[in-house]
Amino acid sequence: MSSRPVLFDRPLLRRRRDRAVRGVAPAREPDFLLREAAERLLDRLSDIRRAFPLALDLGAHTGQLARLRAGRGGIDTLVSVEPSAAMAALAPAPAVVADEDSLPFADAVADAVLSCMSLHWIDDLPGLLAEAFRVLKPGGLFLAMLPGEETLHELRDSLARAELAVDGGVSPRVIPMLTVQDAGSLLQRAGFAEPVVDRERIAIDYADPLRLLADLRAMGETNALAERRKAPLSRAVLLAALAAYRENHPAADGRVAATVDLLTLTAWKPE
Amino acid sequence: MTEVDPALLSLLVCPMSKLPLRYDRDAQELVNDALGIAYPIRDGVPIMLAEEARRFSPEDHGR
Repeated sequence: MSSRPVLFDRPLLRRRRDRAVRGVAPAREPDFLLREAAERLLDRLSDIRRAFPLALDLGAHTGQLARLRAGRGGIDTLVSVEPSAAMAALAPAPAVVADEDSLPFADAVADAVLSCMSLHWIDDLPGLLAEAFRVLKPGGLFLAMLPGEETLHELRDSLARAELAVDGGVSPRVIPMLTVQDAGSLLQRAGFAEPVVDRERIAIDYADPLRLLADLRAMGETNALAERRKAPLSRAVLLAALAAYRENHPAADGRVAATVDLLTLTAWKPE
Repeated sequence: MTEVDPALLSLLVCPMSKLPLRYDRDAQELVNDALGIAYPIRDGVPIMLAEEARRFSPEDHGR
């Protein structure tokens, strides 16, 4: 085994995702962000105007991409690959339960490797890109969307302010995010040609920061950092964080702002 | 019981060794005979995780 430090608690991520799909039906669909990103990814795919007979969706959640694609993107077969068995069970067939960085596919089988809002949970991103490269056919496409850069900076800031005020110290509550520059150099180092990384900023507003936390939980996106504080957020810190959020990150009409920076990674395996 | 997609089976290898797998239809497992690892298939969905796999000594040929 490598002695590389482990950033994420993957079994915990799996449990979070398992639990997310067992949750009670919310008043509105909390996976709106996943579906929004999936729509954008499918638009990008359609713009490429190529056929991708076999595509893999790494970290497929409940199969949003498979269900939304509706014949778009030149794909005949889309295999949903998802680390949570409970989520994979809800995805349209064919689906496989697997970790995205340890793929159960033979070399050079896929015409496209796609991923939508999952790669921010990968410990070993160079390892994942090497795996994607391995399973792609020569000339195959890698296309991934993930939150990066300043995503949820308002939440990170509010939690840090609250913990500093209440506990006198700050623990990692929001995961570190990938930058455009890092993504580009990682793609290049993995051997991909024509790597392009761009960022779209999505501004979301919420009636209350509690709704944001509820959405994150419903998507299985709450903190799964291996070095996270094992104690749950105390009520005092939570209340202070909510107050700090409302005060420092207002949006129009008494609402609060939340930023999501959507990174799109596009690259090709050389012919 | 939902059958696993045969086209999907033709793509799958052991995620750890990348060696080919034998489909045991009765046991609903994908078996790596060389390493003694069997991955379960539940409702047509292969579970290709090391921690969910059954280990056996390779001489037993999977049973």
